[in-house]
Amino acid sequence: MADVTLYHWEPNANSGKPMLALMEKGVPFQSHYINMLEFDQHKPEYLAINPQGTIPAMTHGARVLTESTAIMEYVDEEFSGPELMPADAQDRWRIRWWMKFMDQWLGPSFSMIGWSTFVGPMVRQKPKEELEALIERIPLPERRRAWRKAMFGQFGEEELAESKRRVGFGIDRLEEELGKREYVGSDHYSLADINIFNSTYSLPLSHPHFASKERTPNIMRWLKTVYLRPAVQETWKMGKTDLAHRYSLIMEDI
Amino acid sequence: MATAILYHGEPNGPSLSVLAALAESGLDIECRSINLLKGERYTLPGAEQTLASDMAVEGEGPVLLKDGETMSEAVFLAQYFDDAAGSCGLQPKDAYAHWEMMMWCRQTTERLAPAVAYIGNLATSQSVVGAMDEAEFSAIAKSVFSDDLRERWQDLRDNRVDAAKLEDSKTKVAQFVERVEEKLADGREWLMGDFSIADLETFAWLRPMAALEAAAFKGKLRAAAWMERLEQRPCIKAALAHATVDDPSHAFAPGPEINRWG
Repeated sequence: MADVTLYHWEPNANSGKPMLALMEKGVPFQSHYINMLEFDQHKPEYLAINPQGTIPAMTHGARVLTESTAIMEYVDEEFSGPELMPADAQDRWRIRWWMKFMDQWLGPSFSMIGWSTFVGPMVRQKPKEELEALIERIPLPERRRAWRKAMFGQFGEEELAESKRRVGFGIDRLEEELGKREYVGSDHYSLADINIFNSTYSLPLSHPHFASKERTPNIMRWLKTVYLRPAVQETWKMGKTDLAHRYSLIMEDI
Repeated sequence: MATAILYHGEPNGPSLSVLAALAESGLDIECRSINLLKGERYTLPGAEQTLASDMAVEGEGPVLLKDGETMSEAVFLAQYFDDAAGSCGLQPKDAYAHWEMMMWCRQTTERLAPAVAYIGNLATSQSVVGAMDEAEFSAIAKSVFSDDLRERWQDLRDNRVDAAKLEDSKTKVAQFVERVEEKLADGREWLMGDFSIADLETFAWLRPMAALEAAAFKGKLRAAAWMERLEQRPCIKAALAHATVDDPSHAFAPGPEINRWG
């Protein structure tokens, strides 16, 4: 046993990244499910692990690691198993570039739309006083502001429109990239694929006007290739909601 | 490496850290100075695949042109030099130490860099961009591929200042100096223990703040000594030797955006 514990939500977006990286490397780990919709990540028992209250987090022995992309890089370097970064220096640079583009430019737009249409309405079923108390418990001021917007549906039309613009633009760039190379950033399956797959596998369902067999054949080819990997199948079995099941039906249809 | 050319701005911010990382690596790559404030980054001869420079999250930073592809993002270029040189000591070999360095660099690029770019552009480049004639500015704006980066150019030209953002940026600079001071509290010479990209990236963004946000550095003796150590390091001297102006710490061009949300 590698003495690894992963604190994660669904095999999706940020949580899905280290889950899948560990699976690909064949590293056994204890799974600790954090229910984001019940705000487990801001409860004292989790804040004792990660005081910032963000998920995922991973412990390896006495080490505590946070930030999903950085955790993946650690997993790849620390443990034996298949290499998830290619040897060529320019490929490695390109993979890092795509991960940053996703984490810092495109990803926040995906999540703004997701929080606006999915997370917000789900949590808004709770009484307002309870939501206010939940916000108070969030350690990072930036996250407090973000959750407040999501909980009370305070996204402006302009910022949502900008997020939609970025999603459409980002999908087109990804389609071009996957027309040039077999995988994202290189011809090898890598951390970039794990990163971006976890934020894009839902596209055929969530943004069918941007991503479809007809409009983005390269993305569809790549999504299917990644989806069929045994590690993805194993990771998706760890979901507790029907999220993964619903998307597996879409994948089968590609 | 013969086919690679590093196009850089004045040695400040990302151009300073990348030039210093290159010097540290010992790689033989030709360096060419360009004026980032004139949009020269968008007209590089031989640039065929330009997504990475067109959509660089860090904004108007240096570009390594290799085999027709424009490579961007200062931290990743430094990692590229380290990888290409067969590990020259810019990154820790231990996985956990490497994770710590990448976490630090991400904080630098996500929090410090946008704050410094906001303050620096308003203080030093607004007057230049604001004074351009319409035809010159239009030509630059037209060449800027990214819509949101072009908006930051336009805001700068119009001197559209968001007081809350400016205040928040000053706070972030002060907080970062404090973080450096705390990190060095155990007597270490460099941020991660051993010298690394974290030192270069942090120094490159803090250096221009020493004058513009002097109050943030007051009483921060360990941070000041660390900055002086970097100032004396040969790779920084080599990078600063690429300056074409008297004080490159005044050279800014529109940089990374301040977090849209969360």
